[in-house]
Amino acid sequence: MDFSLTEDQVTFKKSAIEFAEKALNKGAKEREKNREFNQEGWEKCAEFGVQGLSMPEKYGGLGMDIMTCVVTMEALGYACRDSGLLFAINSHIWTCESPILKFGSEYQKDTYLPSLCNGSLKGGHAMTEADSGSDAFSMKCRAEKKGDRYVINGTKMFITNAPIADLLLVFAVTDPKKGFAGVSAFIVEKGFPGFSVGKPLELMGLKTSPIGEVVLQDCEVPEENLLGKEGAGGAIFNSEMEWERSCLFATHVGAMAKDLEDCIRHVNERQQFGKPIGKNQAVSHKIAEMHVRLELSRLALYKVAWLKSQGKRAPVESAIAKLFVSESYVQNCMEALQIHGAYGYSTEMDFEKNLRDAIAGKIYSGTSEIQKNIIASLLGL
Amino acid sequence: MSVLESLENYLLTEIAVGLGKKTLGPDEDLLELGIIDSLGLMKLISFMEEDFGIRIPDEEVIPENFQSLNCMAKLVELQVQN
Repeated sequence: MDFSLTEDQVTFKKSAIEFAEKALNKGAKEREKNREFNQEGWEKCAEFGVQGLSMPEKYGGLGMDIMTCVVTMEALGYACRDSGLLFAINSHIWTCESPILKFGSEYQKDTYLPSLCNGSLKGGHAMTEADSGSDAFSMKCRAEKKGDRYVINGTKMFITNAPIADLLLVFAVTDPKKGFAGVSAFIVEKGFPGFSVGKPLELMGLKTSPIGEVVLQDCEVPEENLLGKEGAGGAIFNSEMEWERSCLFATHVGAMAKDLEDCIRHVNERQQFGKPIGKNQAVSHKIAEMHVRLELSRLALYKVAWLKSQGKRAPVESAIAKLFVSESYVQNCMEALQIHGAYGYSTEMDFEKNLRDAIAGKIYSGTSEIQKNIIASLLGL
Repeated sequence: MSVLESLENYLLTEIAVGLGKKTLGPDEDLLELGIIDSLGLMKLISFMEEDFGIRIPDEEVIPENFQSLNCMAKLVELQVQN
């Protein structure tokens, strides 16, 4: 295994940090307060190439390899203070664009990918339902073939980007007898008859990322919008999750690196009882532990990226990375907040916001408990 | 051991544990019987790739390739040829 970055990757990482610092942070506090999506930031990211990072050049993407994608996401996580925007962009890329590229027909790729890459279309996927979260394949949403179209009925919940999305990959049961193998995926445009979206949901964190309910009532979807074959929904979903668990969580690694830098600066500058607080082992050990978690998180993610760059599967490794990074980010946020004391608890600084955002990472893309189930199961338990 | 026997043996010892199955028919519908669930499929794919030295593309992870032992054996044969 070789995780060293190429010169090009280092240069691109630096330019992504500079871009994010200059273009994405203005007004972030206000948007967080108002639960406002950063449309301008979305457009600037598209101009920079973020939405098309991993997409082939023929569709307007940058055609980057997975390691460069991970490194770029790490850079954005480090420099961008609007984690809701990054969350929205990652959902767009890994749960909509990527599966269309991998499983889509030429018609689907030509129709949707160029606009998804240039950011003029926003995407996401609709899997979760009110009664099926971790047990995702027990969904009730049904799709029935009627002539040259499918008719979908069901309600999806906690759907990232739903209030702003132009299209969603909707997962629905086409063959109830087959369990998870009876689930199919459909590209559903917001203008299709019978498709509607509820108001954005109020959540503890990720306040600038619009998340909502999707209602499909006799929603008519042309048969050419079935993604892959009937019953391929499980494979599409698992493939999405492997990518999301590596690339999305790279933003957390970047955020952890930024928090650690802030903490080191603070403990060296902040004087109490006549010395910098970092001279107390109670504080310096926290810093050391934060650094250990950051380094191990980065290694876990880079290993997944390396495996995938070799064309290998990484179900256990991506579950390990997702579990470890998300749990570590929460722990580091708690420590950063504690180290900064009352300032850390104050909304003037970003530490309490980071903690609220970090907690979501233990839940989305499969909870920590589900990651442990995957790891245990693949170990033969 | 043939591909079919190897697959049956793996399914009985690793996936269908506790279901009281002693044998699996070559055309028995393993999906409808609930013998293979989503986590079981992940394990099965890892086993098939390692044991038979093949790579199963995600696009081939569809019901008709995993419905029965015969379907899986055909998939293995195809991927070996590829």
